[in-house]
Amino acid sequence: MSWFDALRQRAADLLGRARDRDLDEEIAHHLDLETARQVSRGCDPVTARARAIARFGDTRRITDATRDERGGQPLEGGMQDLRWAARSLRKSPGFTALALFTLTLGIGATTVAFTVLDSVLLKPLPYRDADRLVLVREQTTNQALLPPSYPNFVSWRENARSFDGVASAMMPSSQTVWPSAADGDPLRVPTMGVSRRFFAILGARPVLGREFSDDENAVGGPRAAMVSYEFWQTQMGGRTPLGSVRLGDTPTPVVGVMPPNFRFISVADVYFPHEQMPGTVRSSHNYLVVARLAPGVALESARAEMAALSKSLLATFGNATQAANTDIRLLRDYLVADYRTMLSIVFGAAGLVLLIACTNLTSALLARGRAREREIVVRAALGASRARLMRQLVLESSLLVVCGSVMAMLLAAGALHIIGALGANLIPRLNELALDARVFAFVASTAVATVLVVGVYPAFRLAHRDPGVALRGGRGAAMTVRAPVWRLLVGFEIALAVVLLIGSTLLIRTLHNILTADTGFDAHGIVTAAITPREGDGDRLEEIRSELSALPGASGAAFTSRLPLSWGNMSAPVRRTTDPGDHDWPAMAGFRIISPDYFAVLRQPVLRGRAFSAADRDGAALVAVITPGIAEKLWPGQDPIGKTIGTNFLYGKWMTVVGVVAEASSWTMPKGSQNEIYVPLGQNPNKSEGQIVAVIRTTGDPNALIPAVRTRLRQLDPSSAAQLGTMDDRIERSAADRKFAMLALTAFGVIALLLAGVGIYGVIWYIVTTRTHDIGVRMALGATGQVVQAGILRDATLMAAGGIGVGIVGGVLATHYIQATLYGVSRLDPKTYAIGAAIALCTALLGAYIPARHSSRIDPMVAIRGE
Amino acid sequence: MGRDTGELLPGTFEMLILKALSLGTMHGWGIAERIERLSGGACAVQQGAVYPVLQRLLRRGWVVAEWRATENHRRARYYRVTASGKRQLESEVEWWRRTIGGVDRVLRSAAQEA
Repeated sequence: MSWFDALRQRAADLLGRARDRDLDEEIAHHLDLETARQVSRGCDPVTARARAIARFGDTRRITDATRDERGGQPLEGGMQDLRWAARSLRKSPGFTALALFTLTLGIGATTVAFTVLDSVLLKPLPYRDADRLVLVREQTTNQALLPPSYPNFVSWRENARSFDGVASAMMPSSQTVWPSAADGDPLRVPTMGVSRRFFAILGARPVLGREFSDDENAVGGPRAAMVSYEFWQTQMGGRTPLGSVRLGDTPTPVVGVMPPNFRFISVADVYFPHEQMPGTVRSSHNYLVVARLAPGVALESARAEMAALSKSLLATFGNATQAANTDIRLLRDYLVADYRTMLSIVFGAAGLVLLIACTNLTSALLARGRAREREIVVRAALGASRARLMRQLVLESSLLVVCGSVMAMLLAAGALHIIGALGANLIPRLNELALDARVFAFVASTAVATVLVVGVYPAFRLAHRDPGVALRGGRGAAMTVRAPVWRLLVGFEIALAVVLLIGSTLLIRTLHNILTADTGFDAHGIVTAAITPREGDGDRLEEIRSELSALPGASGAAFTSRLPLSWGNMSAPVRRTTDPGDHDWPAMAGFRIISPDYFAVLRQPVLRGRAFSAADRDGAALVAVITPGIAEKLWPGQDPIGKTIGTNFLYGKWMTVVGVVAEASSWTMPKGSQNEIYVPLGQNPNKSEGQIVAVIRTTGDPNALIPAVRTRLRQLDPSSAAQLGTMDDRIERSAADRKFAMLALTAFGVIALLLAGVGIYGVIWYIVTTRTHDIGVRMALGATGQVVQAGILRDATLMAAGGIGVGIVGGVLATHYIQATLYGVSRLDPKTYAIGAAIALCTALLGAYIPARHSSRIDPMVAIRGE
Repeated sequence: MGRDTGELLPGTFEMLILKALSLGTMHGWGIAERIERLSGGACAVQQGAVYPVLQRLLRRGWVVAEWRATENHRRARYYRVTASGKRQLESEVEWWRRTIGGVDRVLRSAAQEA
């Protein structure tokens, strides 16, 4: 036997049918040989043949017995059924394509939603034993949460027994860095100061070199820096030895490289030891404090210990600290708190899409079952057991679901690629998106659930038909259309689609409202440029400002310590001279240092008094401008101008209020009550403020001015790199999470609509086909095609109307969950519900139109005669 | 189960087929014919019965089968006993001798006592 025959044999062995043929051939050969022997003994050929057959025994029984022996291999029957299922799916390509389309969208949408949910919310953070890491913050007496101050952090580190280590990091800030100590161009990169053992406590080890030593992380310690893997690769050329970078003009040895993708809360390219900085005060809130719970210590007992510790610190230091208590929560909860709702909404929407897909598939399988009823019944009558029939039918839907899942994974991989690219900088942990084992497990269980939901019921119904009834009834049996079931299924689909439509319409309107909301200043046409001025360079700043405002296309420029809508803004208590020194200060306010024409450039209206002028400088009386909310809180019903105010940002200093300015969105869109206290840059009240941002008002497209601003800043200070952007971008980004939910819900809404349309199309088509005979009779009796068509469309409208009604009720219930997300639109907004209903109705009619049109063209003679 | 129908003790047919095959590779008819001839007609079973048993032996790995051309240039399936089949045959023969010997001794002693 040649290798080719062997191969062919092997392939043939895989097919039981081929084996049956082989057995037949073997038996035929056997009988020939026996016949030949009988002939050689003197029989005539006919008798010889008969004897051979008699001696062989019952051929059929032997064949069955042999097949039974073979059937001992458990896979065999399954393989046979699988082939049967594949063949029967191939025979109806229309149904198969529809089912696969439905499944791909349904499972694909759910997979995408799960992957996002999983990587943002469920997967452990990429640190060792991340569920033991907590974030510690100060809590004031009025429950406000503050980033801890350095001295408080040190007190905790020295005294708390609940932790296996307490570390701190500074809020990330951008700095000018030269990747090479010798020459080359500076870059502006995000940097982060870290405390002793910061990386060890997180459980992250440098891939190269080491973490800062305790000597380096102490006042007066030797300079040292660590870099991100990405920075090391792209900016330092992956060089070893690591050498030095220049950080703020000073050559600094690089001691270590962190692993790829490492980040703590936000990306940083350069890390420095912040415990080198002297003179930090207990009321300066600049740090993120992370601690690792000691083995066996519960979160609650850590909270209790820290509460006691805070009390004793408060007793010792009095009003120097605002930390009446501490807030301790799992780092993971802190990171994803803002996104939990959004992602749950997205996941819920995906679940609805999957439900619609399942409904579609169920009704398609039921309809297909109808069409195949006779085939099944004949097979049952020929001896196929019900169990076997059911197994085959369930296998058929399993095959569909498996193929659908594979296609869904491909779809999901594509979609996730896009989402990762779009959202990596907007939503934390989205950079960790991956189709991993957890996702595969999820898809597998979804697939199994889908088979159970869609496959078993139609298969059960089909396999348990009474053969007598179905066979006798012939076509008539199929006339008993169980329309109520389909009407319910289609109505259900439409209801789900309406719920999704209402949700996405509400979010679209919310997003629109947010993006067009009043920011309190004119945000359009502003270029922002973050720079790091050299210390004590006040006059130089004025020179930069006038140079920038003189650029062609610019109409004015100003400075601020922090842009509106910037993350990481702090607020601190403010007080009157009459407020006692300790706690319970009457209001909280953010703090910004600005140049005189800041309000004019931003077009932020000054409501009372005046803005700052060039005269507000060192040596002159300290002044401040406040927002109306503070005035209302501190001096209700009085004129705040001329009053004296203090803020914890400038502890121990008193300022005279010279103006009241309209509130601007200082943190997020939309603006809530965001109190703010402004002080003039000319009085340079806070020398430690390293970074300053220029805002430049443009006369045209702000993006067009960015290159000119960059070039001019470079000319003015070749040793510094600026970070440029526009205010419009900042507004866009501030609504990123809502935008993400909106896009997802809209995508799912469109998919749901598509599926519902396909569902209606399928069901109406089926009803028309099974009623062809009826319709033919009616048309023979004088009904016109238009009347028939109108009847069918009316039917579809009724189905849709029922679904829409249920969908509206569902919408009223479901929007409860997105209420907190909405802005500027009520969750019961009638216009939104009307839009959802109208779109669903149009889709339903569109889906019904094609089969209805087909029905109007039925030839009565053909229909009545035809079986 | 009468002697005249040529039926066998349970399990012995497998052993006979293995024995027949241990004498040389053969196809189904050849096996049936060989058993019949060697037993002098005492074990003339229905010939077709070899096929389910062969299928069982195949599944257990005691024989392997391959398609070959016969001397008459027809395609036929030839069975060959494997090493594990040979071991199986030995143990079955051993079991057979012991059982038959035991049965035989019982029969003899019964004759003496009577």
